[in-house]
Formats: sequence, C-alpha cells, structure tokens
Amino acid sequence: MSADALEVDRALREKQLEARPMWRIVLGQFVEHRMAVVGVLVIAFFLLVALFAPVIARVTGLDPSRQNVLARYQPLASWEDASPYEREVRIERFEREADRAALASYLQGAGLVGPDVPQDELFYALVGSQRPGELLGLLRTAPVPEDPQLRRGLAELEDLVAGLRGFHLLGTDELGRDVFIRLVYGTRVSISVGLLVALMSGLIGLVIGSLAGYYGGRVDSILMRVTDALLSLPILVVLIVVSAIDLGKVLGGTPLSFVVDHQYESVIKMVIILCAFSWMQAARLVRGSILSIKEQEFVLAARVLGARDRTIIVSHIVPNVIAPLLVAVTLGIGNAILFEAALSFLGLGIQPPTPSWGNMLHNAQDMVQHAPMLAVLPGLLILLTVISFNYVGDGVRDAVDPKAIRR
Amino acid sequence: MTGFVLRRLFQTLVVIGLLSFFCYYLMTLMPGDPIDEMIAANPNVTSEDAERLRQLHGLDQPAYKRYWNWATMIASGDLGYSRTYRVPVSEILGKSLLNTFVLAGAALVFSLLVAVPLGVWAALHKGERVDYVVNLFAFAGISVPSFWIAIVLILVFAVYVPIFPAGGTSSISFDMTPWESFVDRARHLVLPVLSLSFLSIGTYVRYTRAAMIEAMSNDYIRTARAKGLSRDRILIMHGFRNALIPLITIVALSFSTLFSGAIITETVFAYDGVGRLVFLSIQRNDFNVAMVAFMISVSMVLVMNLVADLLYGVADPRITYS
Repeated sequence: MSADALEVDRALREKQLEARPMWRIVLGQFVEHRMAVVGVLVIAFFLLVALFAPVIARVTGLDPSRQNVLARYQPLASWEDASPYEREVRIERFEREADRAALASYLQGAGLVGPDVPQDELFYALVGSQRPGELLGLLRTAPVPEDPQLRRGLAELEDLVAGLRGFHLLGTDELGRDVFIRLVYGTRVSISVGLLVALMSGLIGLVIGSLAGYYGGRVDSILMRVTDALLSLPILVVLIVVSAIDLGKVLGGTPLSFVVDHQYESVIKMVIILCAFSWMQAARLVRGSILSIKEQEFVLAARVLGARDRTIIVSHIVPNVIAPLLVAVTLGIGNAILFEAALSFLGLGIQPPTPSWGNMLHNAQDMVQHAPMLAVLPGLLILLTVISFNYVGDGVRDAVDPKAIRR
Repeated sequence: MTGFVLRRLFQTLVVIGLLSFFCYYLMTLMPGDPIDEMIAANPNVTSEDAERLRQLHGLDQPAYKRYWNWATMIASGDLGYSRTYRVPVSEILGKSLLNTFVLAGAALVFSLLVAVPLGVWAALHKGERVDYVVNLFAFAGISVPSFWIAIVLILVFAVYVPIFPAGGTSSISFDMTPWESFVDRARHLVLPVLSLSFLSIGTYVRYTRAAMIEAMSNDYIRTARAKGLSRDRILIMHGFRNALIPLITIVALSFSTLFSGAIITETVFAYDGVGRLVFLSIQRNDFNVAMVAFMISVSMVLVMNLVADLLYGVADPRITYS
C-alpha cells in the first residue's frame, strides 16, 4: 500500500470515528433505503397537491362540484360544451356588463349572425348557432374592428365563448364533474384523514401504552385486555357497523351537536371512528418499549432524585419511545387511508359532494364497462400513496433500529 | 394447559358478550326506525297503531331491556326473523356462512401456495434483484385497496377478456350435472379468491421472508452445513421448520383480515356470503340479521385467535402455558 493510500485510509477512519449526532445517523440510514426515498418524494408531491388544491382549481378554472348532465362519462382529454342554461346565464351577465349594441351590429355586419335576428336575441342566437370551439375559430378570423371599444367588446365576447367549453384531462364522472379536479380535492380529503387519524391514534396509543407500561399491575391488565380484544376483532366489519350510526342520534342535545349537518360532518365522523379503532398497535408498541425502558438505570436515577411520575414519563420515557411510535404512525397513515377508502367505497364513509378517492369509486363500479378510467384512476392514487407510506415506514423502522445501525 | 385454554375461552366469551351489547346499542343509533319503515308504505296506519306496534315489538323499552330480551332469545336458539327476506335468520345464515368459508378457505390456501415459496425464494436471495422484485410485489399486496383490485380484475377478466363471470355465486340453472355445477361454482370463485388473496399474499411473503432469513442465520444451520447435510435437507428440516413458527401465528391471526376483506370482496362480486349479509342488512335496517351475522363473524375470528395461540405451542415445544 502506498503512503498516499495509507493517508486516505487514516483520514477516512478518523472521519468515521468523528461523533455524529443521532439524527444524522438515522438520516444516513434512511437514505440508504432507496424505495423509502422514492416514497418520500411521492408523498411530498401528493402533499403539495393537497395543499394547493384551491390554487390548482383557480388556475385551471375547474370546480369540483360543478355538474353538467349533458357531459357525463366523457373520455380522457375531452372538451365539454357548457349546458344551454349555463350559456344563457353567462350571456345575460355579458349583456348586463356594458352596452353591447355596437358590438351586436358589428357582428351582424361581419355576417356572423343573420340580418333578420333581433338585437336582443342576437348573442343567444350566435352562441347557440355553433359549438363553442368552432365559434371561437370564427370570431378569431373575423376582421379586427378599428374602434378600440369595439375591439375590447369583441375580446370579451371571445373570452365568453372560450369559457363555454371546458377541457377535461381525465374526463368526467356520472354527474359530468371534472375527474381531474375531483382527484385533486380527493387527495386533500384522503390524505388529511390519513394524517389526522394516524397522528391522533398515535397520541392515544402513546397515552394508553405509557399508562399501562409504567404503572403495570391492574391498570396494565385492564388496558391491555381492552387493547387485545379490539385488536382481535375483524376491524372492517366493526367499522361498517359503527360508521352506519347516525351522528344526530348520538350528539343531539350535546355541546358537540354543531358537528351534525356541518359541511364536513362525514369527514369528522370518519376521523373519530377510525381513531377509535386504530390506536391499539401504537399502544402495544409503546407499552412494550416502556416495559424495557423503565427497568433501566437512568429511570431509577431520576426516581432517586425525587422526580415525579409525570416528569419521568414525559421527559425520560417518552423520548425513548418516539422511534417505534414514529414507525407505527407512518404505517398507520397508509392503513387509515385504506380503511377510509374502503368505507367510502361502500358508501358509509365520506359523503358526496365532498370528493375522496374512495367515494369516487363508489359510483364508478356500476359503469365500469363504459368508463373504466373512472374506477381505475382513484384506486391507482390510493395504491401509490399507501405503498409510499408503507415503504417510508419500512425505511424509518430500519433507520431507527439501533441493531441495524452501521457506521 | 387446560387451565390456560379455559381461561382464554372465558375471556373470549366475555369479549363476545360485551361486544354483542355494544353492537346492539350501536344498532339503535343507526338512522331509520323499524316501525316507521314498516308503516311507511301504508298511509292508513294511525299514530296510535304505530304506538301499539312499537309496544308489540318491545321497541318502547330502553335499550338494555331490549338487549336482554334479544340475548335470552338467542340463547334459547331462536335467531329471530329477517325483516327483508321474511324468513327465519337461521335459514339465510347457514348458506352464506358456508359460502364465506369456501371463499376465505380457498383464498387462504391459494395465498399460502403462492406466498410461502416466494418468501423462501426471496430470503435465500437476500439483497439480490429477485428479493427486490418480490418485496415490491409484497408491498403492493399490502397497499392495494381490495375493492379496487376486485374492480380491475372484473375489468380485465370479465369485460375485456370475458373468461370468468363478473359476479354472483353460481349460475341459475336447473339442469346441471353435479360436475357441471361444481365447475360453475369454481368459475365464480376465481376472481373473488384472487382479489381476496392479494393482501394476505403480501403479508405472508413478508413474514415468510423475515422468518426464513432469521432461521437461516442461526448457528445450527452452519453446524448442519458443516456436517455435510444436503442443501435441501438443511433448507426444509432446519431452516423452514423453524421459520414455520411465526408463520403459523400470522396465518391464524390473518383469518380476521380475510374475514374483513371478504366483506368488500363479497360486496363487489355480489357473492352471497356473511360479509355481504352484514353490509346489506345494515343498509336495509334488518337488525336481526345484522346482529347475528356480525356476532358470528366476530366469534369466528376470536375462536381462530384462540386456535392460533394453541397451535403456537404445538409448533414450538419451547412454549408452555403455565
């Protein structure tokens, strides 16, 4: 070995011996899990979509609840013409905005409308005569008028006509709503339900697991019996029974009754129900790690120093169970999204018109032959998101596992 | 051992009892009132009549009293009467229970047949490309929404390439030989079993792989190799046998997942099983059916968990119940 190589070797070894903070080690381990990194990127993308859903809606001019029964089950990348009613409303507004008499006679002069059409019906006749796409072409080829005011009026008319047709990248659903923007808003609902449920059930699990693990004895056996009993149930069957209940009958007359008939009643209900049945894994994990931690010397030392139970739990034990809890929460997000989707698919979860990935599939099933994409797309997004969260959870588990740490 | 079994059995019974009350109470919180629905079609029923009907069916009593009446009725072997089907509950239940058993059992066998070899294969090629692909497949299996995979399967194998029926339990026909009707049943089972198996295949592959890697890293494997045993013998007698212990628990515990999954699969494929029965009877306010079907599916799962615990001891002689 040459002197240079030896030098490099020593530098390398010194670098390795250098103390690295825990989070750097964990991060380094995590990055090694390739699929987990891909998962983080996918999740980041969906989070951005969820966060900026209103911005996307404004930029594209799409509305998730705008219906048009004349344009149901449109294929991918298709144009949709506005319904006659919508045309009328827009033209009325257009006419009311300014004096359109000059523009009307100009259009008549340019031969776009027949000479015998009366002035007050002219715009209706014009817009009704052709499909918006073709009309737009005609307007654009019409001679440009000299008068600036007339020119502005013509431009406004072009805008109006352009607004009468919508582009549907991913087609439309059974009520003629744009699938793309519904998927965007569905991302928002599904991911927030997933995150909320996982975080809250992680918190519940932390509290119950800490109580059981720290106090042991009767507290432990009662709490763990409940946990085991809940864990052993066929969760989906229970969820179906529970989510069929009427919140009005439960909360009526209590201070919480404002939730009933709230715009997001079904979302709130879903979060509560899913939380109630998904904290058990976290509780078991926390209890397990606390049982091993509380026997260690630093806890004894704290107790000898006169620390109260609360101080010991909060500042000595909880930091040590964060790692396994993190894994449980990450994996829990994927599960919560799956359960929400399954319940919404059955029509028991998130209620329309609020879109979620699951309830978009609810109606799609009947028309699967005619509009297969309606059923395929939301499911693909669910699969992509859940698989990402599962991979990230796997990566986090590998990264925080002290046995697996390689320096 | 007997003490352990008795204690567990007692615990299971307590859980079932508590759950039945809980569930009965939940049913009272569901939208829709049975009497309102009964009289909805008949405008001649006065409110006094409705009140009398309510009294006749005992619906004017508080929930816990009604629960007690119901529980004593169940205990005496009378499962009640279905409001929508207009037959005793026991009549509908038997058939759908059998159907669910056939579905879940077939899915269990199929997924084991696929997952165990895949898991072992991946474990023996840890870190290689095979391992990556199998892992991806397993992750997809645990992440895929079961109703979606069911729809995709229908789309591919019943719409585009129509080789299997899109739903139902069997064809309606009276002149089929036993063999023909068997084939017909089997053809109706293929897609539901496939879609139900996805999740369990994913789970089993991951557990088999982990257990096998763990087992093959033991010292006794090295010893066996040093003794000059054949590769297959080491793999099966020393490696796989020890990997089997965690696998048995997972398989027995995943019975609950299969039962849960069956609810979705049966609904999508219109397969006549208990899961669909629970779902439909809740939707139709047929509480007698819903309660019994729910209690049976839950008890089934709890009993399977008990069996899992006992099998654990059989597979691993180191575990004793004392």
